[in-house]
Amino acid sequence: MCFLVNHLNVFFFSGSYFCYDNPAALQTQVIQDLNLNTAKFMQLYAWYSWPNVVLCFFGGFLLDRVFGIRLGTIIFSLFVCVGQVIFAAGAWYDLFWLMELGRFVFGIGGESLAVAQNTYAVNWFKGKELNLVFGLQLSMARLGSTVNMNIMGWVYNKVAVVVGSPGPTTLGASLMIAAVTCLFSLVCALVLGVLDKRAERILHKEEGKTGEVIKLTDVKDFPLTLWLVFIICVGYYVAIFPFIGLGQVFFIEKFNFSPAEARAVNSIVYIISAPASPVLGFVVDKTGRNVVWVMMAVVATLAAHMMLAFTFWNPWIAMSLLGVSYSLLACALWPMVAFMVPEHQLGTAYGFMQSIQNLGLALIAMAAGAILDSRGYLVLEVFFCACICTFAAHVLVIMIIILGCLCEHRCFGCLRWSGCYSYRAKRRPIKQTQGDFARLAPMSAFGLRNRYLSRLGAQLPDHCSTHLSSLAYRSVLK
Amino acid sequence: MAAAGTMRGDRVFVVLLILRLSFCPCLVGATNEYKRQLTLQLNPNSTSLPPGGDLLHVRAVGDNDTLHFLWCSQGAPTLLIVHTNTSSSSVQVNWTQFLSRNVSGGLSVEPQSSIQYSIAVVFSRLLEYDDANDTAMPDSDFFPPYELQNLNWTRLELFDAKAQLCGETPEFGNGSLCLTLSVFDSDGRAESWPRLLHSANSSQLEVWLDGIMPRSANSRFLLEMQAVGGDFPLSRVDVRQFIDDEFTPSIFKVSQWVSPVKGGSDVSGYVQWKPVAYRQSNPALEDATPCRYSDPQTQDGNATAASSALIQAFFSQPNITGLNVSFGLAGEPFYNSTRFLSWTMLVGVGAPPVDTFSPIVLAIMAVGLGTPMILLLVGGVLVCLHKRRHGSPATYQPIN
Repeated sequence: MCFLVNHLNVFFFSGSYFCYDNPAALQTQVIQDLNLNTAKFMQLYAWYSWPNVVLCFFGGFLLDRVFGIRLGTIIFSLFVCVGQVIFAAGAWYDLFWLMELGRFVFGIGGESLAVAQNTYAVNWFKGKELNLVFGLQLSMARLGSTVNMNIMGWVYNKVAVVVGSPGPTTLGASLMIAAVTCLFSLVCALVLGVLDKRAERILHKEEGKTGEVIKLTDVKDFPLTLWLVFIICVGYYVAIFPFIGLGQVFFIEKFNFSPAEARAVNSIVYIISAPASPVLGFVVDKTGRNVVWVMMAVVATLAAHMMLAFTFWNPWIAMSLLGVSYSLLACALWPMVAFMVPEHQLGTAYGFMQSIQNLGLALIAMAAGAILDSRGYLVLEVFFCACICTFAAHVLVIMIIILGCLCEHRCFGCLRWSGCYSYRAKRRPIKQTQGDFARLAPMSAFGLRNRYLSRLGAQLPDHCSTHLSSLAYRSVLK
Repeated sequence: MAAAGTMRGDRVFVVLLILRLSFCPCLVGATNEYKRQLTLQLNPNSTSLPPGGDLLHVRAVGDNDTLHFLWCSQGAPTLLIVHTNTSSSSVQVNWTQFLSRNVSGGLSVEPQSSIQYSIAVVFSRLLEYDDANDTAMPDSDFFPPYELQNLNWTRLELFDAKAQLCGETPEFGNGSLCLTLSVFDSDGRAESWPRLLHSANSSQLEVWLDGIMPRSANSRFLLEMQAVGGDFPLSRVDVRQFIDDEFTPSIFKVSQWVSPVKGGSDVSGYVQWKPVAYRQSNPALEDATPCRYSDPQTQDGNATAASSALIQAFFSQPNITGLNVSFGLAGEPFYNSTRFLSWTMLVGVGAPPVDTFSPIVLAIMAVGLGTPMILLLVGGVLVCLHKRRHGSPATYQPIN
């Protein structure tokens, strides 16, 4: 049963991932068939991000209080499905505003599904398996993106043969075919809901809760370093996703790749992050020093962008580097938030982070399109480098300075994060023995000692580190 | 005879244009930076309007050399550039010989001994083929070509330092093939795409097809050009890549049809273009369509001389090489989608201009990369000072 649920849970999000990057996979066709310019093309990405500026706060709330996890998952899957169908219909009838509406609806469902998926995972898989499940989730999601990048062009060509010629009809038909994956996700969500209800009845499990409590008043308590982390997050991701969105034509024009090759190299970021995320997550967990890893990821991404901008070296190198650094940053940056705020504020902090991130993505996506139309690829790459430098590198340096001044230990030992603040991420019940019943059992001496030490703010040994809770928020899409 | 007398005064234009266009002086490139003084003359020393086409003579005088640009629409449109090593050379036209088009010597540059180099480009034919399978391989299915010497050319229109010429024929329908020559007095960059970088030693030719009736729905066009390189024929095309596409977005290459000096790397003359053509008159990025060229091949000098009055008049035994530029690749929209195609090239003597970065890009890179380094250094110093001042307290402190 668990095995089945695991697979369902992992698969049901893949439809959303598959369809998220449809515009990038079909960039030339979208622009040509619908007579767009690049700025308007990037609107398709901006409209995905706009609803999530607000929704990131309310996703957990809606799933917990309003709909419940089962119904909520089904509703959001429906949004994803319907959104993709509207998007395809807009392409079919050559109505750009309808396509933007479709992406908007798709966006409403997409990000909230991530929260639902994590909640299911936490609810069903406790203990050590959780790592594996999260790793699998991320890998499957990335697999969906990769498959999309490489397959959609082929699908479009086949449809063009059937329809007769390329044009809006062909594009609409291809996107409808992509919507089938969303339908598959919806079916998975339905089956999951049924299984969960059965489990509730049989095993007397409670319906899962996201555990997120969003209180906007917590924002005033956020430390300065947390705000710096927000800025780093925005500054970094705006140099990745809009670039991938526009990457295919860049590789065709500058490096003389064929369209199929260009799509393949564009998708290498996702392909690499699928296996690399679990491995790098393990490494970061073991060594700590998140800030150093984040710095390395930022520098590596900067190097990759500069390689692509200023040289004609084989882009496979730069894109592979980009893939590794992107995975590294995801593994190192998101857990940092868990060390900076107490657990009862985690939901708000992550909600805020995702909200700002989506806002940044929406704005920069449009700016990138406009820059490309008027000034070309070199200026666009320089712009991305400037984004990384300004928002990520500068801020990171500022943070290191602040930490260096605050820290009591030598050699930035506190960058390990374990003992710097008196907040201590309390261990979640999931890590204890048997789910909810563990709370009724008496605490062992070991647990008692740890609780005492954590109250003092002492540094706990590695195997007691509890940033597993942060894995729940390692945003699956980003 | 009486009519010839009244037209004498107004048909000889002597336009003294001292152009002081101020271009950004920070565009440092591998071009000569001196300025030239331009003088335009339409149909020099002609008593009447020559039938069939005009001859424009632009004299670009430098410190101790002169470039003579001759643009003629008698027969196939031809651009001839003659480089002399004195600032007092002039062009002499024997109009009867020139218009008879059967002997050479009708046009000469005096003194003959001062001629350093001459390069000429003839637009000979416009070819059209039916790309039924959308492969963009111009091997077959050619329609009968348009011989550009047989088009009805309008009179040369002059504005600023540009000369525009349009050709029509009944087969075009209401469309025309137009050419605009621009001559420059200093370094600079054109305003409209592809914004080629030019120097005082080059001239820009813009070709566009406007409204020509295609003979099939899947037509694509090729433009055939022939070049004469004086002593050194234009024998090869170099393709150079560069990383800056700021002025021609998404184009990272430039093609140069050069006349190498004795097979070495120096070139004495060039035809330069970027492999892009535009499908709208005010193009956006999506209106760009790539173009390809064929290898230069030797052509029959007599046929070319017969088609162009200027070649016949200036060269006695020209060495002609020719190539085709084809517009559109597989998968690109056909000519029929917009019925407009424009393409720009640069013709000049000496070495071709080399594109450079704009200062904005350099500034952003310097600021963007330099400041984190500086911040890191400063921050490291600050942290060390902070530690030294406050010491490093032990983890445990005595309670009492």
